[in-house]
Amino acid sequence: MAVSNERRLLEPWQDPKAPPYLRIDRVTKTFGDLYAVDDVSLNIFKGEFFSLLGSSGCGKSTLLRLLAGFEYPTSGRIYIDGVDVTDVPPYARPVNMMFQSYALFPHMTVEQNVEFGLKQDRVAKKERQERVGEMLDLLKIMELRKRRPDQLSGGQRQRVALARSLARHPKLLLLDEPLGALDKRLRESTQFELVNLQERLGITFVTVTHDQEEAMTMSTRIAVMDAGQIMQVDTPTAIYEFPNCRLTAEFIGSVNLFEGKVMEREGDQVLIEARHGGILRMRSLHPHPLGTPVTVAIRPEKMRLSDGPAEDGVNRLSGVVEDIAYLGDVSIYRIRANGGQLVEMTLTNIQPRTEQALTWEQDVSVEWSPTSGVVLTE
Amino acid sequence: MKRRAWPLLGVLAFGYAFLYVPILLLIFYSFNESRLVTVWSGFSVKWYGELLHNRQLLDAAWLSIRIAATNATVAVVLGTLAANALVRHGRFRGRTGLELLLTAPLVMPDVIIGLSLLLLFVALRELIGWPDGRGFTTITIAHITFSMAYVAVVVRSRLGQMDASLEEAAMDLGARPLGVYRQITLPLIAPALLSGWLLAFTLSLDDLVIASFVSGPGATTLPMVVYSSVRMGVSPQINALATLIVAVVTLAVVIAGISLGRKPGR
Repeated sequence: MAVSNERRLLEPWQDPKAPPYLRIDRVTKTFGDLYAVDDVSLNIFKGEFFSLLGSSGCGKSTLLRLLAGFEYPTSGRIYIDGVDVTDVPPYARPVNMMFQSYALFPHMTVEQNVEFGLKQDRVAKKERQERVGEMLDLLKIMELRKRRPDQLSGGQRQRVALARSLARHPKLLLLDEPLGALDKRLRESTQFELVNLQERLGITFVTVTHDQEEAMTMSTRIAVMDAGQIMQVDTPTAIYEFPNCRLTAEFIGSVNLFEGKVMEREGDQVLIEARHGGILRMRSLHPHPLGTPVTVAIRPEKMRLSDGPAEDGVNRLSGVVEDIAYLGDVSIYRIRANGGQLVEMTLTNIQPRTEQALTWEQDVSVEWSPTSGVVLTE
Repeated sequence: MKRRAWPLLGVLAFGYAFLYVPILLLIFYSFNESRLVTVWSGFSVKWYGELLHNRQLLDAAWLSIRIAATNATVAVVLGTLAANALVRHGRFRGRTGLELLLTAPLVMPDVIIGLSLLLLFVALRELIGWPDGRGFTTITIAHITFSMAYVAVVVRSRLGQMDASLEEAAMDLGARPLGVYRQITLPLIAPALLSGWLLAFTLSLDDLVIASFVSGPGATTLPMVVYSSVRMGVSPQINALATLIVAVVTLAVVIAGISLGRKPGR
């Protein structure tokens, strides 16, 4: 899923001896009664492109503001490169942020905007100009240097904001919805550019986004947040294939959930009696006690669809095609199972649409293998 | 269509006439040769010449300008501080009180402001011996108390429109709070400060009621002189003076308009 993953023997997060570059240690932030960030611990490593993913109000932005220093945690500590920065004000942190609104200074030219941070650091004029030039070159905005922010397009503003936040060579770059204000096409090309830039500069990026696709394409790792807590931290692939709870499964991509009870264990597989009828057999290493309620999560593209009702057996459902959404490359089928449940599945359109056999109201059966999904306990 | 537009144009013309004919007449008669203000007898600028030799009027004008300038400057500083507190510091203890205090002068009759300040000055003098006599200082203080409220309103709306993340961005880029204020906030609210200053200047320059209450012997402001001399019969000198004031005020309004009209940053 990630655009580029250098193949190392061991990724830093898999290596227990690797020192974290950014360490968030049991941080809590409350606003009155509200726990915006609730006991969050995270280790982020040098050179990572880390995404905080969640719906609005889940605390991801507050966490980012805590890292930037605009908010101070109610409890817990934050370390950057081994130094405790919890009480360091924003202007003294080796961290820069790219704001969602870009926050370009409207009374300054592009050049002056990029130069601003260097001026605060009292960098000599000659070096300042060199570094501003470097940044403008890097982001291909040299010809805009004399313009003011209100004379720029959205994409150009984004580049200026990025140049400005990179000019001080921060140890950590925070990006708040970096692509949120761009239109769809620009967003896709910018995603790849951001990743390339990050790999070239080797700066650790922490980004906040509510767009799961964006997080999947760009990140080395993703933390899924909900109600101030981190639900799961893992690589995009692992989060997609092996979500650890219903929330993560539902937040990333679409998923079919079948509730049921554990009936029997056979080696590394469990048999589950589904609430809507039928027996499911899934691979699970979790030691589920018999009788525990579980949820089986299966991605829509990991199911097989065939004509005619199913014969009895495990991981099989019969139903009727209720809806077909043709998206060009794939079609989404909604199937009303005989138990009453709605099952969603995607099929790649290998044949031209007109050739397809399946149509509305047709009797079909859905089938999957024990390794196609995961068993969730909550 | 054309015919139906006529009544509307008539109403518009009447509106303009209602607002501007008196002023135009006043300017017109300032160039009158005759001593009688309402009888035209030929073009002349002699009243402007006489005005320049009228010590009493000139002294009063100079006093008024000094008061207005001092008042405007202090009011801009205090009004900006108040606006900052209200916009940037969320809910602090005494916020409602401050807001109330800032709106009070906008709705309070001048007579009450003038009287209450006079009583305050008299009481203070008995208590601590200050202010010793009324004049420039007391009038300026009185003017500051109400014009800072107007400044606060103007600056507050401008600050409110300003994206707070601009200040955060500056701080994030290494600027300390004072640096942020100097390099980001001040330049962005500068047009509001300018128009606030001009507003405070004008308010002070044409205040008659409050100044009459808190001034003392020897400190007569321009509006007070004009008012008292009109009661003894209008001299075309007053027309000349009024023309000059209209010119200055128009210029100030135009400057303020231009500086505010420049597109503010988002």
